[in-house]
Amino acid sequence: MTTQSAAGSRYRLFLERFPVRRFVLVLLALVIAYGGAAGSIATLRAGRFSGEVWANLFISGVARGSVYAIIALGYTLVYGILFIINFAHGEVFMAGAFTAYFVAVGLASKGMLESNPIISIGILFVVSSLVSMGVAILLERIAYRPLRGAPRLVPLITAIGASLFLQYTFRGFYGANARAYPTIPAIQGTWEIGSFPVQKVHLISILGAVALWLVLFWIVERTRVGREMRAVGEDREIAALMGVDVDRTIVFTFGIGGALAGAAGILYVFLFNQVIFTMGFFPGLKAFTAAVLGGIGSITGAALGGLILGILETVGPNLFLDGAGVPSPNQLIPIVAFGILVLVLIFLPGGFLGAPDDKSRA
Amino acid sequence: MTPELRRSVRQGLIGGAVVLYLASVGMLVAFDARAIITNVVNFATVLIVITFAAFGYLAGRPGKGGEPAQPFLLAGAVTGAVAGATVGVVAVLVDFLITGLEWDVRSMWTSVSPTLMELLSFGQSPIVGALLMTLLGFTAGLAAGSLHLATTITRKVILLGLMAFVFGALGAPLFKVMLDGMHIPNRWLFDRDGLTITGAIVLFAAFGLARLGSFRVGGPRQALLKVPGTSEKNLRWVISVLALLGIAVLPWIVNDFVSDVLGFVGLYILLGLGLNIVVGFAGLLDLGYVAFYAVGAYSVAILTARSSYLVGGSVTAPAVAGYTNFWVAVPITILIAVVIGVAIGAPVLRLRGDYLAIVTLGFGEIIRTLVLSDWLKAKFGGPQGLTEVAAVPFFGLNTRDPQILYYLIYAFAGLALFISYRLKTSRVGRAWAAMREDEDIAEGMGVSVIKYKLLAFATGAAVGSLGGAFFAAKLSVANPGSFTLLVSINVLAVVVLGGIGSIPGVVVGSLVLVGLPELLREFGEFRLHIYGAILIAIMILKPEGLIPDKRRALELHQPDHQPEKSVLSAEATEGIQ
Repeated sequence: MTTQSAAGSRYRLFLERFPVRRFVLVLLALVIAYGGAAGSIATLRAGRFSGEVWANLFISGVARGSVYAIIALGYTLVYGILFIINFAHGEVFMAGAFTAYFVAVGLASKGMLESNPIISIGILFVVSSLVSMGVAILLERIAYRPLRGAPRLVPLITAIGASLFLQYTFRGFYGANARAYPTIPAIQGTWEIGSFPVQKVHLISILGAVALWLVLFWIVERTRVGREMRAVGEDREIAALMGVDVDRTIVFTFGIGGALAGAAGILYVFLFNQVIFTMGFFPGLKAFTAAVLGGIGSITGAALGGLILGILETVGPNLFLDGAGVPSPNQLIPIVAFGILVLVLIFLPGGFLGAPDDKSRA
Repeated sequence: MTPELRRSVRQGLIGGAVVLYLASVGMLVAFDARAIITNVVNFATVLIVITFAAFGYLAGRPGKGGEPAQPFLLAGAVTGAVAGATVGVVAVLVDFLITGLEWDVRSMWTSVSPTLMELLSFGQSPIVGALLMTLLGFTAGLAAGSLHLATTITRKVILLGLMAFVFGALGAPLFKVMLDGMHIPNRWLFDRDGLTITGAIVLFAAFGLARLGSFRVGGPRQALLKVPGTSEKNLRWVISVLALLGIAVLPWIVNDFVSDVLGFVGLYILLGLGLNIVVGFAGLLDLGYVAFYAVGAYSVAILTARSSYLVGGSVTAPAVAGYTNFWVAVPITILIAVVIGVAIGAPVLRLRGDYLAIVTLGFGEIIRTLVLSDWLKAKFGGPQGLTEVAAVPFFGLNTRDPQILYYLIYAFAGLALFISYRLKTSRVGRAWAAMREDEDIAEGMGVSVIKYKLLAFATGAAVGSLGGAFFAAKLSVANPGSFTLLVSINVLAVVVLGGIGSIPGVVVGSLVLVGLPELLREFGEFRLHIYGAILIAIMILKPEGLIPDKRRALELHQPDHQPEKSVLSAEATEGIQ
């Protein structure tokens, strides 16, 4: 290497020092910003969608986002105290909604869904939450507990396995077909808010999600077990020394995350009306995206992230892509979610409300 | 109730739950179709017995210091009986639900078929069936528990004999084809899809005796070394040559279907080796590996397929006239894959390990969605994909013939194997290992982390795209259905099972996870189910995999988050290792 020409070594130096990563990042940001802006302007100029359509898209986005937010709480809670990504959380969500389907069919055959909608919806929520809670607790006991303290990637691989395993377990239990939930007449149609019609299911999903979020917030911030959860998240060993039963607290965290996922499952079914054994995977990933977007570990962040993601998903493709002449832009919804995930992690790894945790980078 | 008894009962309940789980996901009924000994016993029954026996064996395990914690026979028998009784009682209850309450259980639990109920009650009335099941559990548990009374050698000999018998029976269709191919008469050994009674006894005895014989001289390796004129070095040579010969003649002693399966195994070896570089060597968990597989397949398809917009006659001005050759397309493909690998890798390399995994997963899905979309349909053919990909031209041979393509795939797999080995021990490989173990320290030691991470991504992408290229040429199509996230997970399972970072592990992993399910039809249905279970079980029980990479195994057994360690505790952990 000593006999290299000056020009050659300068060239090598340039290669060594060239900030590849920053260059790619800036380029990426510019391309996306330009694409988004150009697409939006073109869409709005063309004026294919009226204000009402945009408003409807927005509300359905908020409804969808609330469901993501509630699922995201499960990721955030578990991450907050164990620092693992519970990749199988989407399947926990599926388990409840899929099992509750059979209860719904039973209730429908007895005419309960029509005569007593509130009670039957209540039953569905309880069943779904309990099943999901059970699955989440079993998951913790069997798949995660033996791995405490293992290198980070180990529980992640386990979680991927658990996700696949749970999907195919429920396929084995309930069959491979998609099943349509029986309709609940009381929540069909629209309510007029002012003079603006809003679909009942959207409003119910939003209100339900808000209620669930408030309950969780209360549990974490105001109860003893919530304090224990925060303590374990802060420092497991010190918490144990202070008399916190760490195992029990972790089980409780998984349980409550599971229960929320189960409840979110019913809200999801209100919106999308269908259950199948694979239904948990993508909502799970999107909820994870939401959790990361808001700042993983933060309860408020999960809600914020969910809402932003939901709105971007419904409004985004139409706004950014339609004007750019992309046919059937709604096919590209997954790109919105994953694109956001990638961009957030690249530019803002801490999310909106989380601290960028440099120390745990590995 | 003594603690020992309580433990046995608890183990028994878990064992019963396991059997009920197998029944309720439909495995038992599916496996009932597979004979172990033709007309005598089916795999479903064997599976039940194995479960009971395994829990009986575990329950009867002696305590520490060689002192029996409890009477083995009793513990095993109680566990087995409780497990059997659990299954029996639940079966009776379900039968009551169906016949007594006339509840259509099957509308919810799709696997609860009449066949299953008959299977669980041995064709008798439910109550008698439950009693029989309890008896079966009792016997299996007793037998398994009593294994603890035998000497280590006897135990190992019996276990190996039993394993040989079960695996021999499961692989019967394959072995039969192979023996037929070599014109070895085998009617006495295999009968249609299972063993004959003679075959069962012969297999059990042969493997048992072989194990016993090898004990006498201190293990199989020592036994071979005893042969005059052998040494460690030339033994290794002989084994390598034999392995190569085996690979070379294999397609000719099996049928086309098996050759085809072996071709797929070869593809997964390629993919696995590629992912092993990224995950195993450099320690970057890439869940979007399928992206490179897709890039490889689509690049080759675009360059050589008749339906491609570059090639096809329907487009007015094709950029490339006529068919581009596969061999011309491959270097271009690899180049594209490397560029895409670097482009995906560069922005995300600063991320923490688990975030990196999710982001790569996102990239994989983004690529699949793009390929599927109407927007890029003109380029990638939408959901139909690109058809009529040209076959691999090779001295005028018909490379669509799986027996010929087999050699091409394995030649490239061998090349990837060679490159992997060389990389691993090279300067680059050591830089990767350093980076994997501690990024900050590696950086401090002068390893350019970004450069080596990108290099890992690029190498992995190149190998993966090669797999994709062969895939497209093999099936003559590239469509988005073949490039789902599941492929990434399958490849990951291959790497994890064999042992993360272990090169021979990839080969074994591909054979077990890709080869076996294709050959055992009844397993095929539960393939992903079993993959999931394997990923969990391996990570919990043996995170270093079946054929561990030494260095990696050490890392995995070192706790990651050590509490604020004093000098003393650091020394203590070192002492343990």
